[in-house]
Order: sequence, then C-alpha cells, then structure tokens
Amino acid sequence: MMKLSKINKTYKTGKLEVPVLYDIDVEIEDGEFIAIMGPSGSGKSTLMNIIGFLDAPTSGDYELNGDKISAFHENQLAALRNKHIGFVFQQFFLLPRLNAVKNVETPLIYADIAKNERTIRATEMLEKVGLGDRARHLPNELSGGQKQRVCIARALVNDPEIILADEPTGALDSKTGQQIMELFTQLNKEGKTVIIVTHEEEIAAYADRIIMLRDGVITEDRRLQA
Amino acid sequence: MNIVESFKIALSSIWNHKIRSILTMLGIIIGVCAVIIIVAIGTGAQNQLTDELFGADKNIIELYYEPFPSEDGGEMMWIEPEITSQDLAEIQGVPGVQVAMGINHGWGNLIHNEKQIEIEIVGVGRDYFYGKNIQMLEGRPFTEQDNDNMNRVIMIDDYTRDKLFKEDEEVIGEIVEIDGNPYKLVGVYKSTIPEEYRWDNGEGLMPRTLNGMMFGAAEIQQIQILGASAETLSETAEMAAAKLTEIKNLEDGMYTYWDMSEYEEEFQTFYLTITLFIGSIAGISLLVGGIGVMNIMLVSVTERTREIGLRKAIGATRGRILSQFLIEAMTITLLGGLIGIGIAMLVTMIASQFLPFTAVVSPIVVMIGAGFSALIGIVFGILPANKASKLSPIDALRHE
Repeated sequence: MMKLSKINKTYKTGKLEVPVLYDIDVEIEDGEFIAIMGPSGSGKSTLMNIIGFLDAPTSGDYELNGDKISAFHENQLAALRNKHIGFVFQQFFLLPRLNAVKNVETPLIYADIAKNERTIRATEMLEKVGLGDRARHLPNELSGGQKQRVCIARALVNDPEIILADEPTGALDSKTGQQIMELFTQLNKEGKTVIIVTHEEEIAAYADRIIMLRDGVITEDRRLQA
Repeated sequence: MNIVESFKIALSSIWNHKIRSILTMLGIIIGVCAVIIIVAIGTGAQNQLTDELFGADKNIIELYYEPFPSEDGGEMMWIEPEITSQDLAEIQGVPGVQVAMGINHGWGNLIHNEKQIEIEIVGVGRDYFYGKNIQMLEGRPFTEQDNDNMNRVIMIDDYTRDKLFKEDEEVIGEIVEIDGNPYKLVGVYKSTIPEEYRWDNGEGLMPRTLNGMMFGAAEIQQIQILGASAETLSETAEMAAAKLTEIKNLEDGMYTYWDMSEYEEEFQTFYLTITLFIGSIAGISLLVGGIGVMNIMLVSVTERTREIGLRKAIGATRGRILSQFLIEAMTITLLGGLIGIGIAMLVTMIASQFLPFTAVVSPIVVMIGAGFSALIGIVFGILPANKASKLSPIDALRHE
C-alpha cells in the first residue's frame, strides 16, 4: 500500500522556482488499477516518478507498506525499485545492442540472480507477454507493440507488486495500444498494482480508478464501476 | 554483479564499437609496445656489453703487481717480480682457489702453404684448459711433457683453422711456421674470442715455457685464478695476493687483484638508469593514451546517458554504474596493453635477428606492462565513471 501525504514538488531552473505538484494526498491500495490523467504539464509524470522513487518530493511524506521513503539512502531506493516496482516507458528504453532476453534480464542482474536462472525467468516472461518466438531479436528488429511487450516483460521479471507505466501506448497505434492495455488488465487481475499515466480517455477507461491532475493539483479522484 | 559478468559486458561494449575501441587502444598499444621494446633492447645490449666487458666467466679474477708510491710521489722505475711454476703451485694451494693459471702472450704470423694469418699466441699450462673450459674440436691439448720438454707444438682456434686449412679434412700433425720456426699442430679448439673483438686475428695456444722462450718473455706474465664460487672470489683473490706477496718477499710493492665485480655493479646500475630513463620517455605516450581513454569514456557516458538512467531506474546502484564504466575503461587499456605486449614480443624477436645481440623481454616487464595498462584504465576511467554514477535517473532518462 502506498500513502502520499502533502507531497509538494518544485523544480529549480536557475533562480526560477517552478512548482509542479501542490499538496498531493493519495492512498493506493494493493491490487488497484489506476490511471493518472491530465494535460501535458499537469505534473502527472512527476507524480509517477515520485511514486516510483525515481524522484524525491520537495516536501511531504510518502510511505510504502508503512516505510517512509524519505528515510532511505539512494542505494536502498535503487534496491527498492528493483524489488517492488516495474517501469514501462513510452520510449521503451530498451538497450539497443542487447536482444530481447538480455534486455528482460537486466533487472535480475542488479538483483544478483545467477545467469542460468536469469535466462530461464526472462524467457518465461517473454512467453507470458506473447513474444516467446522473438527472444533472440534485437530491439530494432521488433515492432512498436513488440518492443512495449519486451518492456513489460522486463518490468515483470523480478516479480514486483507495482507496475508503473508512463504513457505506455503513446508510441503505438490504437489497435496495438488496446492489446497492450489488455495485457495490463490481465496483470492487474493476477494481483499487480498497475498505475498508468495517460492523457487518453480510451486508455484510462481500462482502469478502475482515475486520478485527474491539473496544474499540479488533484481535481478529481473517482472509481469506475466495472 | 560479479567481475566476470562486468568483464563480459565491457567486452561486448568494446566489440560493438570496434573502430573506436581500436583507435582508443592505439595510444596504449604504442606506449606499452615502445616501453617493452626499449627495455628489451636495453637489457639485451646490457647483457651483451657486460659479457664483453667482464666476461661470461665471472669466477675468474686476475692478480697483478702494484708498486708502492715513492716518497716524493714521482714515477719510479720498477721491476715486476718474476713468477715461477713453483709460485703458481703455492697459489694453487690457497683455499678457494680452484685453478691458478699462469699465462704469457706473443704475436706472430702463422704460415702454412703460402697462406698466413696473424695470431695471438697465448702461452699456457695444463691449468688453462680446465680454468677456461677450453673445448677441443680436433686433436688433443698439451701434456705436461710438452710443457716440460718445450716440445714445439701449437694448438689453434677454429677461426684460424678456417682461414688456413679451409679445404683440408685432416690438419692434426701438419707443420706450421711462425717467424721462420716450425711447429707441429696438435689440436683445434673452440674459440673464446667474441666476434666483435677478433679484428680478423686468430688465436693459438702454446706451452708457456716454449712461448716464453720464443718471445723472450717471462714464463708467467699474468696470473688468473678460477675461484670456487663467485661469492667468495674477492676473498680468495685477497688471500692469494697476500700469499704471493709473502712468498716473493716483496718490499717495494705488493700483489693485488682486479675486482671486476665492483665495476660491473656500477656499470649495471648506470645502464639500468639509462634504460629506465629512455623507457619512461616512451611511457609518456602511455599518459597520452590514458587521456585518450578518458576522453572516449566521457563521450561514451554522454552517449549512454539514457542507458544509465534506465539501469538506475531498474535497480542499479551508483556503485554498479561506477564499476561498469571503470571495468570497461580498464578492459580497453588492458586489452591495449596485451596487444602492445604481443606486438613488442614479435618486434623484439624479429629485431634480434638483425641486432648483434638478443633483445630480452623479461617476464617482469611483461607483467608490469599488463598491470600498468590496467591501472591506466582505472586512473583515467574514474572521472567518466564517477560522472556516470552521479547522474540522476530522471535527468538521464529525459536526456535527448
């Protein structure tokens, strides 16, 4: 469970202070499927980065399963990300020189998993996202949808509770986007907490709960009825 | 992440940028190669010079007579005491003396069938053959009787045989002529004169009694001692010199020894200093190579900013990013160093064919070369690796 209280975030560019988030209060239960929506510049990506402790809030408290995130050292946060969070990015961020299996393996390297087990688990994950036959392909030999599946496999491989996806369908056509969203829905049904940042209504419609952001403030937090 | 894993990642990264990696390594390759070749040639030349100056036989030391300085400090006429076979036998009895050798010298033209060659004629006793480890190729060495009876016999070295008896199968028993006097050739031995010091002259051995008589010289002009071991050689020589001074009852001078080992040490140190000095000038190219590695690693960090961001997002700590880039830099320089060592070995092997001596690549220099090139990678990799490890994941992922 994640609990954010009075989270503020201000970016400093030179002497100018640019406020991005104001007093954000959110609680997220395990197993939720949440869409964070808002126009560009509303602070939704920053909020996701804070949830994934890629970024630290300027002020406010963030607790993950009762632990205060601000108390952790940078290296502990890296380990926490590795264990609890799987990231899916709009731009994929696959390592271009590594094939699909090797890309999926990378989080396991930092979890100190032995080579053989890494390959086995990465291959399993690729099969799970429907890419068993593309395991040896390099990223540039894959379509956009396939690349995003590799990313999802990479996010899942260390079995985290939380999947954070930043505009996961932003670079995909709508049909492929739907397939990806169905995959997220399935993962959510298997018990993962899924948090998606998007500005598309159709994508947000897959979620159970929508958090609307505008100019750094939550303007709406509603649950959808299935 | 274990070292082997990091090393493999580094290798694949290097392999993926082949041309860039080779160009980066070039500085290290040239540097290591230059240093090793210079040290190898230096060591080879030093060994050669040491052998020539001090002889390969380090157990031999020479005794000589030194008159005391006169009271007014001026030069004084002095007569060297005459050494006899009996004196030599006394020295032979000094502990630590394996062989005491008495030698005299003469020069003459050796003539046979209208061919001639100028040779140095060394008058020796039986002791000489053992003391100098003379290897017979044909015939026999002298006997005691040859010496005692002043038999007119001579031995020549293989060089002289070549010049004088090129086509002849059998030379033992031939009569040769020196300054109008006939001698019987009884043996041919392997020459001990270094090629550079031969000056087209041959060498012959004669009984020293005969040689002394022929050239009007003392039977023993020069005393050399073969010591039992190199460590106790000076000690032995000192005792032998004292003994000789004592039995000759000397008042105006004394016997002393020519301790080459002292000069040899000085020479070795001097030569080593020169080699190291030139080597370190060559080492400057290693420094330049190291800066090249640093430069390319900085470029690599900038190029791979998003990769670093991603790795951090999925759980890489600072230390892991740091070690990844450090190991990569180290792998580049180590590989460069190993290639440099390989080339250097090849070059010295080929060069040795054309040089008057064998260039020596010592294992220690190779190990230092490999270790040093790895060290360069670490030293010059720290800055870029540190830069990479400090990147914030968010900024790194946003990097265009």
